[in-house]
Amino acid sequence: MNKAFIVILFLVSIQLFSQEKYLTKEGYISFFSHSLVEDIKADNYQVLSVIDTKTGEIGVQLLMKSFMFKKALMQEHFNESYIESYKYPKATLKGYIINFNELDAQNTTVEIKGVLSIHGVEKEMTALAKIEVLKDQINLSGTFMVEVADFNINIPTIVRNNIAKTIKVTFDLQHKPYK
Amino acid sequence: MKTKYFKILTIGLILIIICLFFILKLYNKPFIDIKNSKARIEVTVENILFEFQSNERLASEKYVDNLILIKGEIADISISNGNTIITLKDKNDISSVICQMLAEDNLNALKLEKGDEIIIKGICTGYLLDIMMVRCILTKDNF
Repeated sequence: MNKAFIVILFLVSIQLFSQEKYLTKEGYISFFSHSLVEDIKADNYQVLSVIDTKTGEIGVQLLMKSFMFKKALMQEHFNESYIESYKYPKATLKGYIINFNELDAQNTTVEIKGVLSIHGVEKEMTALAKIEVLKDQINLSGTFMVEVADFNINIPTIVRNNIAKTIKVTFDLQHKPYK
Repeated sequence: MKTKYFKILTIGLILIIICLFFILKLYNKPFIDIKNSKARIEVTVENILFEFQSNERLASEKYVDNLILIKGEIADISISNGNTIITLKDKNDISSVICQMLAEDNLNALKLEKGDEIIIKGICTGYLLDIMMVRCILTKDNF
């Protein structure tokens, strides 16, 4: 399907049901790799996330190039050699928050189930998240682990020991009502 | 004989030191100096939004990863996780250009107000619902 059409469809659906949608364009997602050789961390403060409060559905989208590293060389290798951002510029999560409509004040931990798409590979995932449903805000935060091998990411043998096989992903998404 | 070994050892050590120097230099390669680098493209918010919405693939090839100068009106200034975010908007468009400023320009950003016409220099990372820019600075033309 044409990408422009998907974006238009997304915009129209947001407008039609805006009162039920909570959105952030400045969400935070980071990943962390720990190995004996070095620790690698990258932060992305430009994450788009939408929650449909009627159905509990959640859609998250981010640009790989928006991940900021401490070192320019790490950022270059990540984009050019490992994640191939020119070919796969975005990562997405399409899923839903289980029992979203049954949340009460005490129920602050939720399970998110969905399909994570990175590097052109889709993989089902679940994650636990802390949820805060306020009057004009829905906050979701938590961590989950991602296996590098699941997403067909090629790490050259020479740097294989520098990068962990399992990457820790941290998220903090503060949604506001879409107006 | 001893002198020959000493010479080989010395040359070997010098070569190792030179290699280590270059590896370290490469490992610590700095990010592009936004302030002192010349932008490759100058564009208005209206035009860049039009280009991304018309053909995202072509616009990405043109803008993503490039240092660009964007001129537009401030729709919002916010602070998120210690980063100043300036949003430039086209009045007739639902989308905008979201610019994540470098920390060194946080103070200058506070001098600005909504509705000001400004020029921002930064690196374009692509398009979601909006065009995303990182490592942005305000050019001196704004003051």
